[in-house]
Amino acid sequence: MAPVNLSHRRTHNMLLISKLLSLRDTASPFTLLLDSLEQPATPLLKEYIRRAKLSKVHVTLISFETLRKPDGVDAFISTRCKSPTDIMREVAECHKPATTTGPPQRRLILIDAINPLLSSRKLDPNFQLAAFLGSFITPKDPTAKADASLVVTYHSDVPGLPHQNPYTPSSLSILTYLATSIITLHSFSHILAHKAARDRSLVAPVFGLDEEQDGVILGRLDRLAGTGAAEGIVLELEHRRKSGRGVLEWYLLPPASRYSPQHVKEVVTLLDDNILYNPPMEPDTGAGDEEPKSTFELGLTDRQRREREGVVLPYFDAQNGDGPGEGGRILYDMGEEDDFDEEEDEI
Amino acid sequence: MPSQPPLPHLLVPYLSDQTDSSLTLISSILGATSNWLVLRFLHAALSSSSSPHMPIGVEDQYDGKKRKVVLVSFMRGWEFWKSEAKRLGLDLTRLSSKQQFTFVDGLSELFSLPQNTKTRLPAQHAGAPARTALPLRSQSAVPDRMPPQATPADQTSSRGSTEPIAKKLHFSGHGITALNALGRDIQTVIEKQKISQDDEILLIIDQPDLLLASTGPSQAIGATEMMNWLTGLQLDVHSTVLTLAADSPLLHNASASSNQMANPTEAEHAAFSIGLAHRARSVMQLRTLETGAARDVSGVLRISRGGGWTVGDDNLDERELLFYIQRDGGVRVFGRGES
Repeated sequence: MAPVNLSHRRTHNMLLISKLLSLRDTASPFTLLLDSLEQPATPLLKEYIRRAKLSKVHVTLISFETLRKPDGVDAFISTRCKSPTDIMREVAECHKPATTTGPPQRRLILIDAINPLLSSRKLDPNFQLAAFLGSFITPKDPTAKADASLVVTYHSDVPGLPHQNPYTPSSLSILTYLATSIITLHSFSHILAHKAARDRSLVAPVFGLDEEQDGVILGRLDRLAGTGAAEGIVLELEHRRKSGRGVLEWYLLPPASRYSPQHVKEVVTLLDDNILYNPPMEPDTGAGDEEPKSTFELGLTDRQRREREGVVLPYFDAQNGDGPGEGGRILYDMGEEDDFDEEEDEI
Repeated sequence: MPSQPPLPHLLVPYLSDQTDSSLTLISSILGATSNWLVLRFLHAALSSSSSPHMPIGVEDQYDGKKRKVVLVSFMRGWEFWKSEAKRLGLDLTRLSSKQQFTFVDGLSELFSLPQNTKTRLPAQHAGAPARTALPLRSQSAVPDRMPPQATPADQTSSRGSTEPIAKKLHFSGHGITALNALGRDIQTVIEKQKISQDDEILLIIDQPDLLLASTGPSQAIGATEMMNWLTGLQLDVHSTVLTLAADSPLLHNASASSNQMANPTEAEHAAFSIGLAHRARSVMQLRTLETGAARDVSGVLRISRGGGWTVGDDNLDERELLFYIQRDGGVRVFGRGES
């Protein structure tokens, strides 16, 4: 992919993330959030709910691990001891389309973790993940415009079940194939630590489970040495447009304490615009032209440049074709400042 | 070395402050066990009523709410917890007669048949000796701390089964139904404890991974089923504390980066414990020092926010502390570089 300059990304990709998170125009019917213990998706789900509340979107949370209904959720569906068919029926029931005329209310369906469903042993072997997820977002009336968005969290560090049939793809492959947007979450302090290591050509540090240390499940300590107040979540977005073109971008979502719940303007920024990630260049090295420092004056004055351009180099003379040996002689006009030395060379 | 206060002051905010319907996960490894931390949780929840200088009338009031504890242990028997709590100054027998504490024994008879089948199956007579053999282990360890009349009293109460001090769990049957029956047994105990609506019940489950490992995929019990089971229990109580083993093979053999095939126990355990860490509000990880054994440090305690922690909740500081368990059972907790 050709590198796109920063100002272009600033306008287009910022517009894209704000459209995705605010669920405008159902830009992405199925968003997959890949999180890990090092950066759980809870803050991002909260941000989804906050924005949905601002734009009066009906929020349904299908809970596989949340115990109590969080603030801002309109319908909370617990999935304990329920089959996928039951869940599908309940989700359909909890939202009645408004009978009044006008645009139908948009709908956001969140699944807080899909892993328990995928590794359930009670699961019917004929269970189709694509059909299950598709049932939430397909409009009942085939002529109607799709107005539901599905956001599914997948814990990428929880090992799944080995497959019964070795030829079926893994559930993660199915999910990433189906998703219209994939957001992988990273902890900002870890991204900074990775970048610091990369800048020094060191091996990237690992955290938490990747450390493979006895007794360590979580490595995330917010006060990691050297990262300062590196709070926030880094979102690595892969969005597939309808045309098939993919957009890759890295964003930074600041912690929720930094803005009020009613904040309307966009809070997400490009990761490259962050001062900690991309510190601004020193002004003298950034603005000045690339010149080695030395005691000699290596620049040219305007007069010197004009004179240099006026010089006819010998090989131009040689092309005139005055016969062998004629062209290519070095013709030199003595200036008055020249000190001619007869013994030095012969012309 | 001077005797330590029962609650190390650095840990007090983490031990006493359990938000509603929260899950606290304690992970331990072979070299750094979690018993002392569980006992501190017990003490933090129960001590306000058992301290002797409190007046009688307000003794079990705390913020207008009664705090109660249900301890379900799959790894240790009643005698162990009783004698260890006594070293901290907690009289669990007295507390359980006051309906503030209940012990659910998931160890001694989990897979042996209930007593009423004893006459039918003489070959299974081992049920009774097994029950007495397990407490003997801790009896021999601390024989002088036990009141001499306690042992016969316990035996008669459990034999007579009129009012046993500890409810014993039986895994009878097969698969999910047996697991659900086990959950219902624990729920009955919780309901019995919950006299008024104001009661705050702290449920402590000691090593439910034993249940997962001993039943496992052959009985169609996997990580998801265990987590569903726990969710059912969590819904009935105010907050939950859970201990788990987090030794390296149990977590890392099943991860995608490892090249070897994980066996079912490893895969299920990893899915179970990592999944629980995603739900937990805080994760307290116990491990040994990376640099080897030390004379004055027993291990490292790292307190992290789990996946269930949310910004709006509260301020849970992430910390890493060292601890040292003294010979008398007292625990000293200090930061790195402090003494």
